[in-house]
Amino acid sequence: MALLDGIKVVEVAIYAFVPSAGAALADWGADVVKIEHPETGDPMRGLASYGISPGDGGVTALWEVFNRGKRSVGININSPEGLKLLMSLIDEADVFITNFMQPARQRLGIDVEQVLARNPRIIYGRGTGQGPVGPDANKGGFDGLSYWGRAGVSTAAMPPDYDYPVMLPGPAFGDVQSGMNLAGGIAAALYNREKTGKGCIVDVSLLGSGLWAMQATIAGAYARRSDNIVQHDRYRPANPLANIYRCADGRFFLLGMLEADRYWPGLCAAIDQPELVNDERFANMKVRQANSEACVATLDAIFAKMPLAEVFERLNSQEGQWSMVELPGDTVNDEQSLTNGYLQMVKFDNGADLPFVPAPAQFDGEMPVLSRAPDHGEHTDDILGALGHSMDDLIALKIAGVIA
Amino acid sequence: MALPAGTKLASAVCTAQGIVIRPPEADGEITCGGVAMAVAGEAAVAAEALAEPQDGQALPGKRYVDQTTGLEVLCTKAGKGAFAYDGRPLTLKEAKPLPASD
Repeated sequence: MALLDGIKVVEVAIYAFVPSAGAALADWGADVVKIEHPETGDPMRGLASYGISPGDGGVTALWEVFNRGKRSVGININSPEGLKLLMSLIDEADVFITNFMQPARQRLGIDVEQVLARNPRIIYGRGTGQGPVGPDANKGGFDGLSYWGRAGVSTAAMPPDYDYPVMLPGPAFGDVQSGMNLAGGIAAALYNREKTGKGCIVDVSLLGSGLWAMQATIAGAYARRSDNIVQHDRYRPANPLANIYRCADGRFFLLGMLEADRYWPGLCAAIDQPELVNDERFANMKVRQANSEACVATLDAIFAKMPLAEVFERLNSQEGQWSMVELPGDTVNDEQSLTNGYLQMVKFDNGADLPFVPAPAQFDGEMPVLSRAPDHGEHTDDILGALGHSMDDLIALKIAGVIA
Repeated sequence: MALPAGTKLASAVCTAQGIVIRPPEADGEITCGGVAMAVAGEAAVAAEALAEPQDGQALPGKRYVDQTTGLEVLCTKAGKGAFAYDGRPLTLKEAKPLPASD
């Protein structure tokens, strides 16, 4: 169900944050036209990150995931003719999204007042590092900095025995959360436009999104008059039934039984340790906390003898919550995710394939069918031709370096 | 033969035309369908017209490049032939993203 069918989005954005918002809107059915520089394109096409390089597996994974389902038009918007072309696209658009910084937008002539003057019904979505006002408004940002570092995620995630705060767990981790926030804001703004006939500005920043993700931690640290939460120590957790364990194959799994007293007898039965149920060190939440180290050591010794398949069978036979701890590469085989459409394998003409994760909000139980990202400037002629430009016009613009 | 930017090219074996956007770093021969193209309005060498489209045939609006010399030709008129420079087939131009890493 393509809820945004007929909505036209113009994207002037690079890297991952705002492009991921465009990807979500495209997943929901919007026609997303991405403006790229005619020579260089989005730097995401060339980004190497976390050991992932352009061309690995026959595709450029980091480019593909954030630009799937879009069309690409190569326009040098830093030229008068290019700006004119962009403005013609803006005339027809419902949404304009950008993560260009304010001084650059102003210089290029695509800042809020310039775009809204041209099309008062447009939704102007801005992705920034630190928000549109304040001392750091015009300072750039990346998610590793503004979302992860400045919002306190990095220090809160730091294990007790680690020397440094933890770095971002993977490419664009904070960008995609922020991008989804922007996509959600734009959906609400489109509803508002239906009521009022007017567009508006939607602002989402990496910093604001990081704080949103951290809100329970921030409020909690404040409430306990501390600069941080208490990080989980897996050898001495408050609740040994909410902890991480390793099985005989070396794979990890999590127990997440917050109401541990309810599940303790069932867990002991499932792992063939009936005598533990009434063991005076472990019989209830209070004594398990007091004897946490011993309880974890006892469970460690039991699980260390169980291969993964046995852990599965035994833990699935009881009612307490638990989960495998998957490696990122293993998630593509998770039947539960595949059945729900949370992962989709997309095939490429050259025989490569790549798992895409659709925007996770499902409408009427349907998942969108995703398709590859565009080649650089792939749709330049189609899109500009549809604006009424003849091939001769386009050739002249190409010779002048205005379009791809 | 020198091919400065702006040089117009016409195929001798099909309807393809092009224009040099970036000159090559080394002199050589630009061909279409394996036959030298007419350069800057010169008369084309007489040759038999191509019957079937070739792989990589010239498509209007597409940019074709020679990685070796940096030559870039913009196709301005479609044809059945494919461009080559000194025998190397020109390839469709791709983005040249700035190197980036984190």
